[in-house]
Amino acid sequence: MSETFNLPPLEIEQYTLENGLRIVLNRDNAVPVVAVAVYYDVGSRNEREGRTGFAHLFEHMMFQGSANVKKAEHFQYIMKAGGTMNGTTSSERTNYFETLPASQLPLGLWLESDRMRSLAVTQENLDNQREAVKEEKRLRYDNQPYGQIFDLINEMIFRNFANSHSTIGSMEHLDDATVEDVQEFFRIYYAPNNAVLVLSGAFEPTEAKQLIETYFGDIPSQTPPPDLNVDEPKEVAETFREWEDKLAPFPAFLLGWKIPPRRSQKFYALYLAGKLLYDGESSRLYQKLVKGEESVIQLFGFTDERRGPSSIFVGAIPKPERDLSKIRGTIMTEILHIAADGPTAEEIQKLHNQLFNDTVRMRQSSQSRAQQIAEFALYDGDPTLINSELEDLLAVTPEQIRAAVDEYLNNENRALLDVIPAGNGQ
Amino acid sequence: MTQAIRKTAPAPLSPVAFNIPQAFQTTLKNGLKIVIFEDNRLPLVSFRLAFFSGDVNDPDDADGLTSAMAAMLTEGTRNYTSLALAEKIERLGANISASSSDDFTIVAASALSLYNSEILELIAEIVFRPTFPEDELDLYKRNTVENLKFQRSQPSFLANEQTARILYGEHPYAKISPTPEDIEKLSRNALVGFHRKRFLPNNAVFVAVGDVDRTELVKDIKENFGKWQTGDFGAVAFYDPPARSETSLTIVDRPGSAQSNIVMANIALDRNNPDYFRVMVMNQVLGAGASSRLFMNLREEKGFTYGAYTKIDAKRLSGDFEATAEVRTSVTGESLKEFFYELNRIRNETVSEEELANAKNFLTGVFPIRAETQEGLTNLILSQQLHNLPDDYLQTYRDKIDAVTTHDVEHVAKKYITPKNMAIVIVGDAEAILPQAKPFAKKIKIFDTEGKPKDISEYGQKLGGDTAQVGGIWKLVLDFQGQQVPVSLLLKQSGDVISGKLETMLGNGKINDGGKISGKKLSATATSEMQGKTIEFIISATVEGDSMAGTISAPIVSEPLSFKGTRNEKP
Repeated sequence: MSETFNLPPLEIEQYTLENGLRIVLNRDNAVPVVAVAVYYDVGSRNEREGRTGFAHLFEHMMFQGSANVKKAEHFQYIMKAGGTMNGTTSSERTNYFETLPASQLPLGLWLESDRMRSLAVTQENLDNQREAVKEEKRLRYDNQPYGQIFDLINEMIFRNFANSHSTIGSMEHLDDATVEDVQEFFRIYYAPNNAVLVLSGAFEPTEAKQLIETYFGDIPSQTPPPDLNVDEPKEVAETFREWEDKLAPFPAFLLGWKIPPRRSQKFYALYLAGKLLYDGESSRLYQKLVKGEESVIQLFGFTDERRGPSSIFVGAIPKPERDLSKIRGTIMTEILHIAADGPTAEEIQKLHNQLFNDTVRMRQSSQSRAQQIAEFALYDGDPTLINSELEDLLAVTPEQIRAAVDEYLNNENRALLDVIPAGNGQ
Repeated sequence: MTQAIRKTAPAPLSPVAFNIPQAFQTTLKNGLKIVIFEDNRLPLVSFRLAFFSGDVNDPDDADGLTSAMAAMLTEGTRNYTSLALAEKIERLGANISASSSDDFTIVAASALSLYNSEILELIAEIVFRPTFPEDELDLYKRNTVENLKFQRSQPSFLANEQTARILYGEHPYAKISPTPEDIEKLSRNALVGFHRKRFLPNNAVFVAVGDVDRTELVKDIKENFGKWQTGDFGAVAFYDPPARSETSLTIVDRPGSAQSNIVMANIALDRNNPDYFRVMVMNQVLGAGASSRLFMNLREEKGFTYGAYTKIDAKRLSGDFEATAEVRTSVTGESLKEFFYELNRIRNETVSEEELANAKNFLTGVFPIRAETQEGLTNLILSQQLHNLPDDYLQTYRDKIDAVTTHDVEHVAKKYITPKNMAIVIVGDAEAILPQAKPFAKKIKIFDTEGKPKDISEYGQKLGGDTAQVGGIWKLVLDFQGQQVPVSLLLKQSGDVISGKLETMLGNGKINDGGKISGKKLSATATSEMQGKTIEFIISATVEGDSMAGTISAPIVSEPLSFKGTRNEKP
């Protein structure tokens, strides 16, 4: 199969400005659209105890104006130019990105450089965004059925504070933050030498390089951020917890396992095992639980990939009156089957075709290319991994999948969160 | 670089043309139209086999039949069980699914292009040879009933359900979802018969986008779909949406709801109306995005909501205009006022050239971004085909937007936004909403979340203006972690608006005119400056003559503190 499938590599050019900002250019002129992605090497993992929620608060602060861009003007500039934009925060990084008509590349670079250089970290903006974050927490976590379960299970899986605390953080910590704390955080983590800038799409490289130098070249670099330790013992911190959810209409449960870091051979093996278990209608658990036993309303699973110890989840919302422990039994039995016999030849063929398909599809949009490239550049120092990751995944053998499932997806290395509806019976 | 260049936004580079070639079209002898867009940048294909009939074509006594038939196409065929089919498709790394909307039924597939022939055969298999197995149908019915029940816990579903019912009357767009009873009634026989009658080549279009060879693909399609028999699908006539002569208010009561989901809607235009592009630009100025007027007003200026938007839902047979927001319960009335202000403003005042240019730039700019992926381009081409839009629709799309003038915007705003006969639907706490919203409509109805009408006199006390008088000085005792803390409340009342002062040992808070009394329920926010920070105390209480009981919540305490007390002095 892989002999007949030939995917030409993406054109990647990388260099570093004198101030340490890493630049990656991926030119593809097919559609006159350009994607700009700026990735800062700061996420919740960089937060100290007593100062959680800072990385995410910053994502908000970055839209509050800078020396030459007024509050809330950022998104208006982008929309008026016919573009789209956003920013997100994870444990690993904070990213900011725009997709623009090709002619508007200077606008995107101007906006990103102005806030990298001169963000308005003022008391007023800080107070204002603290409140916005609280509103967001109410809307997305506190006021949603099952909204807090992933934050809770991370506390159960990880022992190291850098890994275990949530991205949204503690509202008390945000209240305690002084404007000086926040300015210091900006100085250290939002420095050019702590970031990656990726352009993907339609542009002239010479012109783009010149624009990048003009806008970013003289932003001063800073001393590098302090070293970070994300080490973990192999076993999870806590194996069982019950959580009373006032908004949940049905009981539910979530299983989480601690697994090796992203891009390790064992992580790849477990990522593929996960796909066999929960991805698509032919997956083992869909066929057992949704079709066979007809016991669940919703089944889901995914891997959380991190530079340090990572995790894999399987969860279900069962139909009313179902026995949750029996459903968990079915899940563990299927996992044991893979740990004993490994995947079948048909399953490997399915995985390979899905990997081809996913890889090609991810390449269609300039923004999705820019974001993948930025991750490889930031996490691995090598943006060209976008061209070779498929081979790494295809190289995983059935025996490696079996062995990784056997080693990691067992009861001892597992956190179980039971969600109990505690509302008014609605 | 000098500071000066940095001061202002840079000018754009010279524009880059975006030329989409027109797709190739042909029609088979049996009437099946074929549209092919060759694009070999990546080894991918997207196929759509779409039928010009959808949920509106459900028989009168079988709501939900079309969507059930579509969902069941992939649950078993003559040559494959449901599992074997899922395995076959996923083993190719492909996706095939079928679904229906109001107007259309669509079989969608995407795959690596080296599997083109396999995918075409599988589409033919599910379209021509579904068996609708009894056990799979039973499972579909049980799961769908569970999902319908779950939907009723979503405020947005309840709001859309009422809005469609009110706007569309006897027209089938009035029903956005079948009921559990409709689903229970579905039978295998009905599915088999309906499938035979509905799936006709002269009622369908086949769209292919991606890495294909046109000549070979037409040959393959002929092989798989050429013998398909033409048939008569029969014309159906529908009632028009009812004419409306006044504003109506419909409340779906969710007692205790923290938010009000507001929908304000009127019948507007169908997708083939020549005003479509003008309306799109008008809608962009008014409320389609995060830089539109409504968002800037309700979110950025007033802080009532996380987002407020308008949308044009232009369908094949009719369509509507909708303005929506989820707001805090206490500002429901004020939000309605702002909605009406913006709806009237765009009707009565000509928009500025700058606002017009911003809206047009956005719409023309995002067009190539939408067309960048194969799925995006496929959906644009499919929509062009399904709505019988001109052959040069995609090529002239941006020119048509550029041609819209400020005069056009004013004209279509007057024509398609009609505040005088708008349907206002609010899902939330009826007791709290009613006094705030009743000034906006003469005709008021209240429903429960199951859609059953409620007796409006149950809420009548508050309707009649039986408003408690709360002015004076109140001595209250607050329970703070078991300790009894004295607090004073000095209130002034003017109509149903409350202002005053909250006095505590820690400091005082001011209640500006934002306080409200609704019947016996008092709600107010006191703001206090503490160490340079502004802290909000949210007061909510029930008044009985000279006694009061309720809670105070503030960001510095994790749970609301309860209090009670009596009035010491009357004004």
